[in-house]
Amino acid sequence: MVDQNSNYALQTSEVYVHYGKKMAINNVALNFPKNEVTSLIGPSGCGKSTFLRCLNRMNDVIDICNVKGKFLLNGNVDIYSPDIQVETLREKVGMVFQKPNPFPKTIYENVAYGPKIHGIASSQNELDEIVKDSLHRAGLYEEVKDRMDDIATGLSGGQQQRLCIARAIAIRPEIILMDEPCSALDPIATAKIEDLINELKENYTIIIVTHSMSQASRVSSKTAFFHLGNLVEYGETGKIFTKPDKEQTNDYITGRFG
Amino acid sequence: MSSLEKRLAAEKRFKFYGMFAMTLSLFFVLILMYKIFSTGSGAFVRTTINADVYFDPNFIEVSSNSSKKEIMKASYVDLADQVINQNHPGLDEENFIKVREMYTRKFDYQLRDYIANNPNVIGKTVNLDISASSDLDQIVKGNYPRNVPEAQRKINDYQLSILDSLDSKGKMSKTFNFWFFTNGDSRDPETAGILGALMGSFYALLICFSFAFPIGLLASVYLEEFVKPGKITDIIEVNINNLAAVPSIVYGLLGLGMLIGVFGMPYQVPLVGGLVLGFMTLPTIIIASRASLRGVPPSIREGALAVGATKMQTVFHHVIPLSLPGTLTGTIIGMAQALGETAPLLLVGMVAFVMEIPGGAFDPATGLPSQIYLWSESAERGFLEKTSAGIMLLLSFLIIMNTVAVLVRRKLEVKW
Amino acid sequence: MLYLSLVFVFILSYSFYFYGKKRALSLKFKKNENLSSLPDYYGYYVVLLVFFPAIIIWFFLLIFKSNFQEMFVMSPVLFPDVATWSSGKFGLIMNKISNLSIIVNLSEIDLTVGDKSILKMASESEIIAAKNLANFDKIYGWSNLTLFIILPVLLGFLATKSISGKLNAQPIVEKIISYVIKGSSYIAIFITFGIFFSLVFEAINFFRYVNFMDFFFNTAWNPNRAFVINASEGFDQEALKEAFGFVPLLTGTLLIASVAMLVAVPLGLLTAIYLAEYASSKVRDIAKPIIEILAGIPTVVYGFFAALSLAPFIKDVGEGVGLPVSAESALAAGLAMGVMIIPFVSSLSDDVIKAVPQSLREGSYAIGATKSETIKKVILPAALAGIMGSFLLAISRAIGETMIVVMAASLRANLTFNPLEPATTITTQIVTSLIGDVEFDNPKTLVAFALGLTLFVMTLILNIAAITIVKKYREKYE
Repeated sequence: MVDQNSNYALQTSEVYVHYGKKMAINNVALNFPKNEVTSLIGPSGCGKSTFLRCLNRMNDVIDICNVKGKFLLNGNVDIYSPDIQVETLREKVGMVFQKPNPFPKTIYENVAYGPKIHGIASSQNELDEIVKDSLHRAGLYEEVKDRMDDIATGLSGGQQQRLCIARAIAIRPEIILMDEPCSALDPIATAKIEDLINELKENYTIIIVTHSMSQASRVSSKTAFFHLGNLVEYGETGKIFTKPDKEQTNDYITGRFG
Repeated sequence: MSSLEKRLAAEKRFKFYGMFAMTLSLFFVLILMYKIFSTGSGAFVRTTINADVYFDPNFIEVSSNSSKKEIMKASYVDLADQVINQNHPGLDEENFIKVREMYTRKFDYQLRDYIANNPNVIGKTVNLDISASSDLDQIVKGNYPRNVPEAQRKINDYQLSILDSLDSKGKMSKTFNFWFFTNGDSRDPETAGILGALMGSFYALLICFSFAFPIGLLASVYLEEFVKPGKITDIIEVNINNLAAVPSIVYGLLGLGMLIGVFGMPYQVPLVGGLVLGFMTLPTIIIASRASLRGVPPSIREGALAVGATKMQTVFHHVIPLSLPGTLTGTIIGMAQALGETAPLLLVGMVAFVMEIPGGAFDPATGLPSQIYLWSESAERGFLEKTSAGIMLLLSFLIIMNTVAVLVRRKLEVKW
Repeated sequence: MLYLSLVFVFILSYSFYFYGKKRALSLKFKKNENLSSLPDYYGYYVVLLVFFPAIIIWFFLLIFKSNFQEMFVMSPVLFPDVATWSSGKFGLIMNKISNLSIIVNLSEIDLTVGDKSILKMASESEIIAAKNLANFDKIYGWSNLTLFIILPVLLGFLATKSISGKLNAQPIVEKIISYVIKGSSYIAIFITFGIFFSLVFEAINFFRYVNFMDFFFNTAWNPNRAFVINASEGFDQEALKEAFGFVPLLTGTLLIASVAMLVAVPLGLLTAIYLAEYASSKVRDIAKPIIEILAGIPTVVYGFFAALSLAPFIKDVGEGVGLPVSAESALAAGLAMGVMIIPFVSSLSDDVIKAVPQSLREGSYAIGATKSETIKKVILPAALAGIMGSFLLAISRAIGETMIVVMAASLRANLTFNPLEPATTITTQIVTSLIGDVEFDNPKTLVAFALGLTLFVMTLILNIAAITIVKKYREKYE
């Protein structure tokens, strides 16, 4: 049952996802507490990314993908309800992708794009402020302040990913979804992103899919372990990594499979 | 949330524009096809007038013992006139001309061909369907309106009355127009056929293929397999891409200026037309063949080289056979383009009035598309349906060729 | 006969494969010689040495048949002073002889029948020449056939004789093939040179008659005013100055191409966007091939459609609303051309749009952008270079398109920017000046090459610009 407790940013239950006839997620229920970082871990193909993409209806783009289940935002908004515009939802639930995907525009335009289409800024000055602030929070401002009009694709991979984070927070979402945000980055860039996540959780609820168990333990307070489309175990990160309840989880974190 | 409503309205509008554009494009295809088929279908039917033909020996220069050559050489104009007099008794001179105009001008040729096939008919009476003139044919088919003042009609009132009386006697009928498929061009729409143009296009494509296919295949093999990328390949590469985008009329100028002007090749013949089409098709074939060669995985080459084959053996025994379906597909598509290409044919003279069916690449000829152009420029209504029918034939050939190309790709192409 | 001899070349070369191989085998087994290559390669060796010389000579004889015909008919034996004749006189006599040969042919070389008045006017040697001309095809064919039986056999025996154990056939065979392959790829360059030089050469001839500046900057186009006053004075220089003004052709071409682009760009681009981003796969599978049909339809069909249906329709509509519309309006030709170019624009744009990575789309959706916002603000800007490239190629297509304008546009030059008026184009005038009498010493014919050269350069610049823009942007974004 869905808990009406509003300490949760997002509550899900009875989630089933099919790709055509193939089942990808099998009856998952998971709640995400506000202003905390939750990691989704598990072997490749376990459905963790698919599940993540359900949370801002990114799967709508894929024709053959069929999502069923209850998703409640802030305890009262059903995100799959026909009354909900997917655009409004995504304004509240931002996303950062596995591979940095800046638009082939200037750095400034990349960040300003979201506020512009949603009409968040009422003046050019305000828009400038939002861009500056978002880049600041993403820890990128100092590096790019002199070249805001350069094409974003000229940045390094780590900078591009932080730009994508800045782009996501520029529309002031409540939740940020991160789909293996560091998998395409080197260790130094990864460390920077992880620091950033730690700072961001003050203001946002973050849900992160990751392959790296050490990353999960470093950044998250809650961890969910997925296997073959099932949610095997969910709990405090420390508990999951030290004494998990399920043997399967233990096998995975100790590296016996996955 | 009015801003969101606006955005959603914009979304809907944009989607509608896209759908509208696509529907309009589809509509163009339909209206084009409809127009062609509705005007062209008439060309496959010919109006005939049933008449008793007495092969009167007094009006025939030859006898049943004459050789076929003599029969073909003799004149049957008097016999034709006699047949008309017999079937429409009591005509004065003025009315006789009017009635004669209702029958095809090539009436005598039709009689000649009948005698040539049946020499024993001389002296006997046979019931024959004689082809009507094109103007009468158009009236019967309803392409010319009947209810307009006489001065605006090609068929006058007297002829209409004869037509109606023939019709009431059940003498008017329609037959499948074989002539369209077996005749060369003619000044008279009712006897004009497409075979000459078809053979002209056939010989031109034959030349085009024998020039462009081997050279295109070998050139792409050289560029893909034998040279390392460098200046010369870059030049050739840029060259080929540009050649593919040169307007076809420029190739026609090449044919006229170089092949005819400098090399002194003859005007109006499929040889020159075919070579020009070959020049045009070459880049298409090279581009397709290179893509196909690139699709053959390196492991095949390494495998062959590893057992000690030379580079040449590797390429000719393994790589080319594997890439051939792709090359062939590109070739067929290129040939289909060449078949529809008109402008180069115009410039090398393959747009003349040619009655004879060409017997080779050296005989003056038109091509299928240039014949369509020629007919479309004719004023007579009868040629209008011939033009559309010619287009139908051309389109069917193109569809067949493209279908073959698709089948070749599906059936033979190896997927890696 | 020529084709029959080609068949002989193929059959004889092929059969020498077995002969050469047999010879190599007999060396090996009867004379116990060590062969340097596999026996097969001795077969190939002989085949190549027979086939290539023979096929080159065959093509030579095919291409220069009419030159041989002239040499044969106008032989110095019949006409001792032929070398001193001017090309005009040569042409006149040749014409007379070919007319004679038709009569000679009809009466089956019986000179007593036929039109005797023409025969009486002909000289003895002219009649002989006419007979020769009538017989030329037969003689040429038979001698050809004989040559291509003797030549391959001779070559084959010589090549086979040269086979010995020491002869390493394989590298020789591969070397010959590598030359052939290399030569094939250079043909593409030769064609470009051929185009360029044949255009430039005749264009230079044209500019001998007409001033360069007059051609490019005059605004009047009346090629019929270029006529010869009399033999000694040549062309009327004043009239020549006024006859060939390129400007109205250029404006006409651009006018019709603009109408075409106004139709094709929005429709093509929106169709591509709809098919790539909105349409379900079912709709795409049906609609795409149907639209591609438009691309496969020969342009003569569009021309016919434009002249037959579109132009009268536009004229009627125009008159219905009280606008004077010409029956050969630039609008009709432009519209038909636009329809022709739709699939060109849509399939190129479709490729470009598909090439935009999915991650960019997702990035935009994830911020909450609608589909149309994503398309307008992310996909199109990202694909802009490619799309511009496809537009440039489409313009180049429109400028070079011939049949539609020949059939639906006007022949009369008209300096106008009103699409309801008639206009003519560069390609139309090329065709008009070359249909009918082609005289390489008349500016009326030669102007086609000057126009062709201008057209070639214009399209070349557009094509190169298209390729460069695409390349530059690609480097920027990748």
